[in-house]
Parts: sequence; structure tokens; C-alpha cells
Amino acid sequence: MKSRNKLAPWVFITPAMILLIAFSILPIFIAFFISFTDLSLSGLADFSRIEFVGLENYQDVTSDGVFLQSIGNTLFYVALGVPLVVTLSLTVAVLIQMGNGPFFDMMRLFFYSPSITNIVAIAIVWSFLFNPNQSIGLINQVLSWVNIGPIGWLQNPQVAKISLIILAVWRGLGINMLIFSAALQNISPTLYEAAEIDGATRWEQIWNITIPQLKFSTFFVVVTTIIGWLQFFEEPFVMTEGGPLNSTMSIALFIYKNGFQFNRFGYAAAGSMILFVIIIVATLLQMKVQRRRDENTI
Amino acid sequence: MLSVNKSTKIIIGVLMGIWGAITIIPFIWMILSAFKTNPEIVSMTPSLLPNEWTFNNFRELFQRLNFDVYLVNTLIITFFSFGGLLINAMAGFGFAKYEFKGKEFLFVLVLATMMIPGQVTMIPVYLILNQLGLTNTYAGIILPGLAGAFGIFLFRQFFANISDEMLEAARLDGASEYYIFLKIALPLSRPILAVQGILTFIGGWNSFLWPLIIANDQKYYTLSVGLQLLQGQHGANYALQMAGAAFMVIPILIIFLIFQKYILQGFDISGGK
Amino acid sequence: MATFKKMLLGSLSLATIGLLAACGNEGETEGSGTGSDSSETVTFWFMGDGNEQVQPILDAFTDETGITVNVQSIPWSAAHDRLLTSVASGEGPDVVQMGTTWMAEFVDAGALMDISEYTESSEDLNPDNFFEGNVATTQIDGATYAIPWYTETRALYYRTDLLEEVGYSEAPKTWEELKDAATKLSERGDNMYGFNVDSADQTFAMMFARQNGSELLNENNEPQFTEPEFTEAMEYLNGFIQDGAAPGQDLGLDISQTFGGEGIVPMFISGPWMISIINENAPDIEGNWATAVLPEGPENNLSNTGGANLAIWNSTENVDNAVLLIEFMSKPENQLQFLETSSSLPANMEAWEDEALSNELITTFGEQLENSEHMPLLPEWEQIAQSFLTYWEQITVGGADVAEQMEAFNEEATNILN
Repeated sequence: MKSRNKLAPWVFITPAMILLIAFSILPIFIAFFISFTDLSLSGLADFSRIEFVGLENYQDVTSDGVFLQSIGNTLFYVALGVPLVVTLSLTVAVLIQMGNGPFFDMMRLFFYSPSITNIVAIAIVWSFLFNPNQSIGLINQVLSWVNIGPIGWLQNPQVAKISLIILAVWRGLGINMLIFSAALQNISPTLYEAAEIDGATRWEQIWNITIPQLKFSTFFVVVTTIIGWLQFFEEPFVMTEGGPLNSTMSIALFIYKNGFQFNRFGYAAAGSMILFVIIIVATLLQMKVQRRRDENTI
Repeated sequence: MLSVNKSTKIIIGVLMGIWGAITIIPFIWMILSAFKTNPEIVSMTPSLLPNEWTFNNFRELFQRLNFDVYLVNTLIITFFSFGGLLINAMAGFGFAKYEFKGKEFLFVLVLATMMIPGQVTMIPVYLILNQLGLTNTYAGIILPGLAGAFGIFLFRQFFANISDEMLEAARLDGASEYYIFLKIALPLSRPILAVQGILTFIGGWNSFLWPLIIANDQKYYTLSVGLQLLQGQHGANYALQMAGAAFMVIPILIIFLIFQKYILQGFDISGGK
Repeated sequence: MATFKKMLLGSLSLATIGLLAACGNEGETEGSGTGSDSSETVTFWFMGDGNEQVQPILDAFTDETGITVNVQSIPWSAAHDRLLTSVASGEGPDVVQMGTTWMAEFVDAGALMDISEYTESSEDLNPDNFFEGNVATTQIDGATYAIPWYTETRALYYRTDLLEEVGYSEAPKTWEELKDAATKLSERGDNMYGFNVDSADQTFAMMFARQNGSELLNENNEPQFTEPEFTEAMEYLNGFIQDGAAPGQDLGLDISQTFGGEGIVPMFISGPWMISIINENAPDIEGNWATAVLPEGPENNLSNTGGANLAIWNSTENVDNAVLLIEFMSKPENQLQFLETSSSLPANMEAWEDEALSNELITTFGEQLENSEHMPLLPEWEQIAQSFLTYWEQITVGGADVAEQMEAFNEEATNILN
């Protein structure tokens, strides 16, 4: 559908683009330039004290073993966490919609509540849940009833990542569930009615109607969740500070700890640029796959 | 909508009920802890219900908090954030329903703004605002966060799902693009407007870092800043924090319940009315 | 077209309102800028709840001098970010509260004014009034950049009843006694310990190293972490963990939970703020705990000084009023007033003669302050200390060899300093 009004799209996108360029794109460029300098607190105070250091920051960052470890950790988070978040939030949204009614509307609020719970409260409650001591930590207490030994949820380097994924999935489910809920509302009932008449089972209906009809929102949820999880930060920051033994260190947390905490802004900028490249490559790949899929279905 | 018989509905209800109850426990704990004393919160045997209900936390909160000023600022910031809602919707519509030169590139640019951690851009944005003379102003607080890639992307997806035929028909009837956007597309996207509305409200209501950084004067502080002021350098007064958190979450709950109605607006995407 | 105009008008008016509100407020805020205009004001940045903790003192100041204080309270959690943006823009207050650990970086950035001339000429600002450890945090490269305001140091908290039971009627006084008592206490049970080796606090191990005679960095600022003075101290602390006398990883419990009740961890080292926290959160052990100065190591029982100073922002034009405010706040009676509202210990030694600081639990800290030093005042120190924690974790959690880790740590520290 091509409209004859050539000006209209520009009118629509300009206000947002101006704001984004001024307050997001421009700063990213500035950060890009900073990554080639040794900008620190003293440089901020006096621009003449800033020195150009070429690729030194990038060399330092990539040769840091912990940074490489954090990349591995982050990819682990994404690989495990994103599918969980997407499928679970979709499942909840569909189940609630099937339920239909005030009770189920209330459930939506229940599932969204983690997103609006204060982070300190989250830290306290989940620290308690994860406490390694069998007589204190709730999860280990329950496990002890079935004779499963105490697990060091946040103490054991092998387990800690999983614990954080559980926490993050619990938190991230809500917003995606909301988006799917909104998208589900837009599916025409006639599609289902026709399928009923054709004798399709509920499962077949879900598979052949619901899921394809949700394509546009699924794409959104997958892309934004991946972008979000590649920047995994708050959970390790609040619960483990990247430990034990850097097993939960994420890229974003590494940048924060080694760059910002020590006012090494050039170094932090370099790390951020590397993260940026990872994310944009991942996103472009997804967009390409989606486009190919779109072309194939036509 | 998938049809379900009574018994399936009950099974789903039970499943959701249990799962939902488990999910909401930390939230409930947070609210109930606002009524506990701090020793009780940090005690070895944590409890959900307060052993001794106390209103002291709230009393202290309202006594120490410069409530009126902070509330007004928070409301102003939240109100103006909704301007962003419109701007994002417009952009989403532009990207969804039109072909124009550089569209792909510009959209990737939009997405790119989501790919950088906030601290990296904090100082450059501050310097930009400083150059524009917008420090210590409401504009300085509101403008940076007004447009958001998440919202633009979300609107774009939903608008893309609207059938082109319907818009084409309106065009043939002589409607301008802007009319189509305002009177056709926006109403159709009510569910997603509601979702974004909830998110916008939460963002504005909870705004903390920017009002603090931009302000040279406490009169621009928001409720979140005020609450953080009550925290000392060492040792946390959890009870007070929970009271603050419980207090802050109430308007969010209200907004959620109100807006949820719109998320559940009946189907009418293909124009059948 | 009508709708188009409406929409354009809509978004434009939204933006205009915003800008108008902005401009409107600009006019109002002229007076509360960096104090460069009206000579009868002074701006002060305070960290924490200014209204409750510092307003009474400021009001007294206004009464005495007629100068109004524009105080801006800044939450601790975002204070460093706020200061960063001020450095970036150059706009700051007149007087700023500066934590001792931040002194090095902000002096290096040139954010704080050299006030040596005032400390020499003013009675109230004479460095001799204040604890040596705190004065040291205000002097960098021979110049003075701040006046000590409040102080803190670390001392030993211990359960008197539990220590009685293992034969200690007084707190352990030496490293050997500390180890002995901790070991005996840990024999009470599987999940019981005697002492806490704080693996999250980057000053903890450094304190013990100094007690063993380590300088941490020599006169040329070269790291001394492979020297026996340092490695022995690390072996000593690691011994607690390996022998089960101290927990190797965070127990996930609040200190009041581990100190109160059964006393899972009946001895720990911390600052004066824990006194009110224990009183409030573990009232069950009232009368059964006390504070004591740190056990002596082979050389001394040096503790770690912290606290905050009052500094003048370098770009301010309101220096005279700033100095007046700082002088006022440095007086013993005003420091005692601050103690009352914030429980922060005065850096002014004369204030300690007051009754308010005569409680046994607190006099310990006064005593310890006589043997207390701050960590090296280098901008890079924070990074070195943090990197120490990662090597330390390898030892305590990963079971790595102390000497090896200290070698690697020393190397990294050398890199950081160059």
C-alpha cells in the first residue's frame, strides 16, 4: 500500500527521531569516540587532560580473562533464559485468555507483580529462598523433604547462573505476558469458530491459529528479550556481584565494575561498544531470518 | 478466542492460581513488611504476616518526606511522559505503514538506542543538556526519556498487523494520513496503547536518576529521590524502604487495573464492526 | 488537513509547555545557583537526609551569621553519579561533603579547592583539632583540600557471654588469642563459627596486613604484596576460613541474625554504625555483647579510618561564606549536634570529652581512632583494592595458593599504577 502523501511518514517519525538522535544516538557516538581515549574523572574536569590512546582500551578489555568469561556467561544466560521467558509468558497469556473472567484478569496482575516489586524486596526475599542453609533457605528446606542435599544456589559457581536465570525469568515474564495478552485480543474469533466447525482440537487450534497470528508480537518479544538479556545486569549486581569466582559476571556488570566504578570511562566505553556490536549483530540476524520467513510464507 | 469447557477452565484456574500465588509472594511480602518492625524483617525465621502490625514506618515516612513537593514533581513528570506515548505511536505508525527512503536504516538506528547500557550515555546526555541550558529544568528531566525505542518498536509491530485494505479504503474515501492515524489506527491499537500506557506511567512515576542528576535544587526532586534520601550510608532500614515501596506501588496497581480493561477490548482489528 | 494541523499543534504545544515550564523555573532558580550572586547565601551538598540531620546546625549558622544555607540533600546511592556530572559541567555547590574514599579521585580531577591558607590562619580549621587519621585524608601532595567532619573506624564486636564460655573474660587482645577464641567457638557445631573474615570489604585484609607491618605501597608507590609482611597476614586470615573458624562464603544472613540469637558468628569487625543496628535488630542479646579495640598483630593494631570531610568546590566564587560555614561546622559543639541527629562520630577530638561519647561501646572507637589510618590516598587505590578481592576469592573459595595469588595480584597492581 503506497500512499501518495510523501511527507506524511516523515511527519510521523520526525519528533521521535529528533529526540532519539539528540539523546541516544549522539551520546552513542560520543561514547564511541571516548572509547579511543583514556577519559577518566580528571579528563571530565579538564578536557585537555584527555589523551588519545587508539585501540588500547579494546586490547585491554579483550585480553582480560574475566571479560571473556563474562561473554560466555552472558551467552549462557541468553541461550537458557530467553526461550524460557518467551514460552512461559506466551503460555501464561494464552492460559489466562482461555480462562477468561475476573479471576483470570486478577491473575494478570499477579504475574505482572514481579516487575513492580521493589528491587530491595526482591533481593531480600530471593536471598532467603536461595539460602544454602537447609534450616533457613526455603528452597533447600523443601528439597530436604525429598532428601536432596543442600544446594549452594548462589555459592556454587556451577549453580549460581541458573539461580539468577530463575530469578530473571520470574521477573521478566510479566511484561511479555502483557504484550501477548494484548496481541491475543486482536485475533479474530471467526478463525476459531471456523476451525471448531472443521473439528480441530484445541491444541490444533493453538498451533495453527494462535501461534501464527501472534507472529508480529512474538518477533517483538524475542528481539527485545534477547536485547535485554544480552545486557543482563541487575540480577547479578544485586545478588552475587558477579561471583562466586566470576561465574555470574555478565558483560554489562563487568563494564560497570571495571569501568564506571573506577571512573575508567574510556575503558567502559570500549567494553560497551563491543557489547553493542554483539547486540546489533544478533538483532540484524533475527531481522534477516524474519524477513526470509515472511517472504517464504507469501 | 479459544473456547473452553467448564472443566478445562477449572483446571486452568487451579494451575494459574497456584502458579500465580507463588509468583506474587515476594510482592505480598514487600507490602506486608511495610507493617513490620525492622528487627522482624531481618530475623532468622522470616515470616509473611507481621507478628506485630505497626504503622510506624508509614508515620516516619510521611513525617520525614517532603511529600507535597515531591508528589507534584512526580505527577508533572508522569503527565508529560504521556506526550512521549503519542510521539512513539506516531513513529511506530510511520515505520509500519509507509515505505520511504532510509526506512530500514532509520529503524535499525531506533533499535540501536536500546543496545547501550544507560551509564555509558549518562554523562554525554548530561553534557548535551548542559550545552542546551536545560539543566535544572523540567525539560531537562523529561526530554531525554520522552521517545523510546521499545515503545516505537512495539507500536510498529501492532500497526503493521492492521490490514492495509482498511486504510486504503479510508484513503479512497478522502481521509488524510493524519486522520487515518488518529481516528482509525490509534483506536484499533487500544490494547497496546494500554500496555504502553502502563509502562509509561510506571517509568514516570518511578523516575529517580534524571530528576536527581539534572536538579540543582531539591524542588525538582521526585518521590523516588525523596525515598532514597531516607537511606543512610550504612545499614539499611528495610522496614522504611518497604513502606516507601508499598506506598509507591499503589498508584501503579490502580493504573494497571484501569488500563487492563483496555487491553481486553474486544477484537476489531480487521475493521469488522 | 484540519486534523494534521491539530496534531502538529498538539505535539508542538506539548513541547512548548515543557520549555515554558523550563524557562519559567530558570528564572526562579537564579538564586540557588553556585552562590555567585547574592553574598548572603551559601550552597551545601549533603549526603543523606539533610532535613533531619543537618538542618538544625545550618539554622544555628544562619542565626549567628545571617547567611542563608541552601542545602541540597543527595541520596547516597546516587551521590557519586551526581558528583560526576558536576565535575563534567563544572557546576557545583560552594561546600560539599566529601567521603574520605572519594578524596583522592576528586582532588586529582581538580574539583576541590586548595584551602591550605585557611587551615593555617583559622583556629577552628587547625589540623591539630582533628584525629590524625582523618587529617591525613585531607592532605594530598602537601596541600590541604578539606576539613575533617565526621569519622569512623573499625573495632571488634564480640559476644561477651559466648567468649566467657570458651575462657575469655575479655576480648582477644592479640592475633593468637583471636585465632584461639575463634577456633574454640567454631567447635560448638557444624554451622557455627567464631569470627568473620569479611570477603566483601576491600579494607579488611589491608588492615591486618598493616598490623603485620606491611606498608601496602612503599614510598615510590610500588605494591608490596609479595613481601612476607603481607603474605603472612593473608595466610593468617585464610587460616580462619580453612580451619572452619570463619565462613568462607557469604552466609546470606544479616549481621544481626548471625551475631544475635545463638551467635553463629559471635565476633566480627565493623564500624560504629553497627551499635544502633544491633540494639535495634538483636535486642535479645542486650548486655551480652561489647566492643573492643582490634587485637594486636605482630606490629600494631592499626584500624581503618573512614568518614567524611567538608571541602570547597574549586569553581565557586563564594569562598568566604564557604569557609565560614565549614568553620562553624567544625566546632566541637556543632559536631556533637551532628552526632545527635545522625549518630556520626565527630572528627574533632575535643568533642570526645563530652558525655555523649562516654558510653563504653563508643569509647572503644575513640580509643581505636588513635591507631587508625586511611587506605592509601591514590585515585587508583580503589581499583587495586577491588582487584584484591577477586584474588582473595580465588584463595578462600577456589582453594588457590596464597603466594601464587599474591604474585599475580602484585603484578596487576603494578600495572594499574602505571
